Amino acid sequence: MTERNSKAAAYHRRDLMALMLSAGAGSLLAPISFAQAQGKVPAPPAKPRGQVIAGISQEPTVFNPLMPGSEVDQGVWWQLFSPLWFIAPDGQFVPDLAREVPSVTNGGISADGLTWKIKLRTDAKWHDGTPFTAEDVKFTLDLINTPGFRARNRVGHSLVKDIAIAAPDEIHWRMKRAYSPYLSILALTFIVPGHILGKAGDPNTAPFNSAPVGTGPFRWGERVAGDRVLLQASTAYHGSGPHLERIVFKYIPDLTALYTQFRTGQVDYLGIGGIPAYFAKEAEALKGVRVIRSPTPFIEHIALNLEFAPFADKAVREALYLAMDKQARIDAIYYGLPVATESFLPRESWAFEPQLAVHKHDPAKANALLDAAGWTRGGDGIRQKNGVRLAFSNSTTAGNLGREQSQQLLQQDWKQIGAEMKIANMPAAVIWGEFWQKSKFESVTVGSNFMIGSDPDVTPRFGSRSIPAKQGAGLNTYQYQNPELDRLLELGASQFDQAERRKTYGQVQRIVRDDLVLLPVYQSVMAEGLKDGLTGFAANINCSSNCWNMREWYWAR
Amino acid sequence: MSFVNIDRTDGLPAQRFWSRPGFKRFRRHKLAVFGTLAIIALTLACIVGPWLLPYSDTYIDIRARFALPFSGPHILGTDPLGRDVLARLLMAGRISLAVGFAAMMIAMAIGICVGLVAGFYEGVVGAALMRLVDAMLCFPSIFLLLAISALIQPSVPSIVLLIAATSWMEVARVVEAQIRSLKTREFAQAAVSFGASNKRIMFRELLPNAVAPIVVAATLNVAHAILAESYISFLGYGIQAPTPSWGNMLESAQSYLTSAPWLAILPGLAITLAVTSFNFVGDGLRDALDPRMDLP
Amino acid sequence: MSAFLLRRFAQAVLLLFIVSMIGFAILHLAPGGPLSQFAAGGEMAQQDLDRIAEQLGLNRPSPIQYAEWLGRMLAGDWGHSYRDGQPVLHVIASHIGATLELMLTSTLLAMLIGAWIGILGAIRRYSMFDSLATVGAMIALSIPTFWFGLVVIYVFSVWLGWLPAGNRYTIGDGSLLNRVHHLVGPVMVLALVSTAVWSRYMRSSMLEVVNQDYVRTARAKGLPERSILIRHALRNALLPMITIAGLHVPTLLSGALVTETIFTWPGMGRLFLDSINYRDYPVVMGILMFTAVLVLLGSLVADLLYGIADPRISRSG
Repeated sequence: MTERNSKAAAYHRRDLMALMLSAGAGSLLAPISFAQAQGKVPAPPAKPRGQVIAGISQEPTVFNPLMPGSEVDQGVWWQLFSPLWFIAPDGQFVPDLAREVPSVTNGGISADGLTWKIKLRTDAKWHDGTPFTAEDVKFTLDLINTPGFRARNRVGHSLVKDIAIAAPDEIHWRMKRAYSPYLSILALTFIVPGHILGKAGDPNTAPFNSAPVGTGPFRWGERVAGDRVLLQASTAYHGSGPHLERIVFKYIPDLTALYTQFRTGQVDYLGIGGIPAYFAKEAEALKGVRVIRSPTPFIEHIALNLEFAPFADKAVREALYLAMDKQARIDAIYYGLPVATESFLPRESWAFEPQLAVHKHDPAKANALLDAAGWTRGGDGIRQKNGVRLAFSNSTTAGNLGREQSQQLLQQDWKQIGAEMKIANMPAAVIWGEFWQKSKFESVTVGSNFMIGSDPDVTPRFGSRSIPAKQGAGLNTYQYQNPELDRLLELGASQFDQAERRKTYGQVQRIVRDDLVLLPVYQSVMAEGLKDGLTGFAANINCSSNCWNMREWYWAR
Repeated sequence: MSFVNIDRTDGLPAQRFWSRPGFKRFRRHKLAVFGTLAIIALTLACIVGPWLLPYSDTYIDIRARFALPFSGPHILGTDPLGRDVLARLLMAGRISLAVGFAAMMIAMAIGICVGLVAGFYEGVVGAALMRLVDAMLCFPSIFLLLAISALIQPSVPSIVLLIAATSWMEVARVVEAQIRSLKTREFAQAAVSFGASNKRIMFRELLPNAVAPIVVAATLNVAHAILAESYISFLGYGIQAPTPSWGNMLESAQSYLTSAPWLAILPGLAITLAVTSFNFVGDGLRDALDPRMDLP
Repeated sequence: MSAFLLRRFAQAVLLLFIVSMIGFAILHLAPGGPLSQFAAGGEMAQQDLDRIAEQLGLNRPSPIQYAEWLGRMLAGDWGHSYRDGQPVLHVIASHIGATLELMLTSTLLAMLIGAWIGILGAIRRYSMFDSLATVGAMIALSIPTFWFGLVVIYVFSVWLGWLPAGNRYTIGDGSLLNRVHHLVGPVMVLALVSTAVWSRYMRSSMLEVVNQDYVRTARAKGLPERSILIRHALRNALLPMITIAGLHVPTLLSGALVTETIFTWPGMGRLFLDSINYRDYPVVMGILMFTAVLVLLGSLVADLLYGIADPRISRSG
């Protein structure tokens, strides 16, 4: 699919969705009602029926949604808990525990962005029967900001002050400064019960953490450590669904074993990690299952440490980018699954900038560029300038087959222009620690989600005050510093009008692309496997997991 | 001193190597002979082979990926990146065999020293050393894998050290038990009564008579080392890409078991062949060097 | 005898201290930490990692952390997992059942079949059976188990569909038949190598015994061959087997790491691998100490039995 076609299709779909939503089709049913309207899919059962076994390659171990968790943990949280609102696949905010999403237009957010007033549902109940109230929201926000509590992160939450409970179903607070991404942050913040966690002596080790109680469509069943987590349908759920009696998250650490069990029917849904690209084609030909290609918000790129001598030279970055054979990588190693990209935002994002310079594979031009910049070839064929060799290491998580093959391909490509790349892979526990955070790497092959929910605020990623290696607070491990970019990022975070923000972030993407802060490769597309008859699945780049709407899933036969 | 000649069995002339009874027995052991020939053939192939082939083991040719074996210019087909499988197999053989031998050498050296000293001196020193052996055996090899792979970037030398570090204990145990029992024999006690120094007794009396189990242990050690290397590489802590080893070829082939089975079968066969050969040789040596075999 | 036991006990305690110190040091020297896996998603930045590391006490110097760990350990508190907050002993206990099930089955099977093959091979030395058994055992010993496991899954689960592709039992059906059905695959893989090993041990042990003087005497006395074998030879041949079995006890509980991963068997081996990958220090140390105790116990038992079998070996160790 060319860039233009996919864009057109996305706009078409988006218009349709907007139309349906405005027609009041029921926000939580939006993803399926379109298909149902076409009469293709049978309606969900009246009572919850059947079970789904979701195969995942990491073990979910954290069940308190405010503590640090991985993607698989989030998959479980989406079933047990509810946020105030969530973001649908098309980018629209849909209220969940709140009655409506606050905005400047409806008065929920004051014009200066500092006062927030949220109206909450009155019919939501915790799994133990206690009604959900504004106290729980206050408790959640307070808990996150409690110094001794191991909260995941406090971005946005730390700006909240003066929380006041106006009524059992209404909560007000003030922000220390206007911060529009907070809307997205709250879309990913689950509310926890104040009446249970509040009574625990230490929330970090409360019994709640291994027997959670939430307001979500499923309640806690049991956990067999090292093997699986079982969730049961909650009959008192305030939204639509659930249509399944049980969900089992089955932990299968080996990707090949996971795929094999999907093949042999022991696993109904293969998601979160998805089917590896090298099995995707084969999987699509299998009977009894279907493979859905879901775009993800993860952008695969080569992260460069800009303080490392050769990378500080823009000519080197441009040459390396020119010499990269992106298409071969996508077509051959990933079987055409992902989509080449120039931006750090996924194409489904409202802020995605389509008019960026397009990559061309041109080793001759790369050579010319390096020659002109003074990088002369040494005796061994590797370029050097002022005593600095164009030699560096590239690291990624060990055991990732696709990336390992990509690295080897890149190594050969770059050798041709006189750059020596050494492969230095390491296990996940090592690479994402200080090696990555404190910019101790030279280059890393990584896939990152630059958005917060659906918000394109990338201040933590590219802001000059966000460099951990320089005592900053953030994720700017590239060590990029650009005052113009800082100005634009500050502007974007204080604007509330989407059209204006789109302009701002368009410029941000242009600067990042032209400066080649990182070498963008592709936007990851996941191949998720579903057994035939399992309906309701909808990919969502704005949520942390594609399991976000399991309450809508059901067996069609 | 005339006591120097006490080592030789008096009267009998020195025999030629290949007509010694031990070697005769070895020759009769068909499997051991097969094993020896296989090892020699494999080693030669791995050393000379890559030079004779037209393809390099690291050249990536994306258009030629997944070529079937026996179906074109690539004799054994190509891997997912288009590299010639035969070339990679032979180069990997170099690495795997070299790692096996080197690890064995180091493990033997450490194990013999520790076992010799422990078995000879016994007492506190012996107990301390054997407890050290016990302590080392307490660590599962995966734990030591973590240690070395975490502290140093995994490379051929570090893998060799790692494998040696997890296999010297068996050698030490075998040697210690052997030395301890040999010490009670007449010839050793005779040497003591003649006033021979400790070092002399250890290295010139006891050790030569313990050669049999040591040699057997050595061959089995190489076999174990080759398997260990494949195990380590399978877990991802071994030889890193793009250097091929039989272990990491297996590791990257497991995802293609259904679509390109030859990628997994060939390295697996190579490992099995090499390890089996060493085991055969070890078995043959054990039979050949066991003096009690001469009894009816 | 009691002096010997006392001495060994003291040595064992000292050893456990050393093992724990070395283990702790290695774990904490290794780069990366328990929170790195959460940072992979980009949700957490260095300041978040630092904040939580401080709360967990991970930024204090290693010797202090070790002293604390040791103190708690001696008081009976093995600590809590960093991943799910459960007590370490609880975590280990929840994984041991699976491993025991797998290892006991495969070891017993391997010992029975292996012993039978070995004894038969020793009695009928150089016969066709013996030659085949020897070659077979050698090849079985040389096959990488993970490779064999993959082949078994491919052939029996994917291609033929006779066996499930992993797991202990089908969710919802915990019947004995179902469990046995799921055991076949991994036991086949594990038992292959074990059987070969036991058959080799048994064969060489039997051969040694059969060549002894007392067997020749029994033959000279005119006793029937069968009764010689069973009454005299076998009993003496089995003795070293027991000591070797003692040494294998730790493996019963450490599990077969790679087999458990390939067959999705929720056992100790996989727990250990996962805990190391995620730097779950308390669980790793817990398993390490657990294994160490077993190894020392097995070594003591083996030495004791060896001493009984061969009185010439002085027990000065």
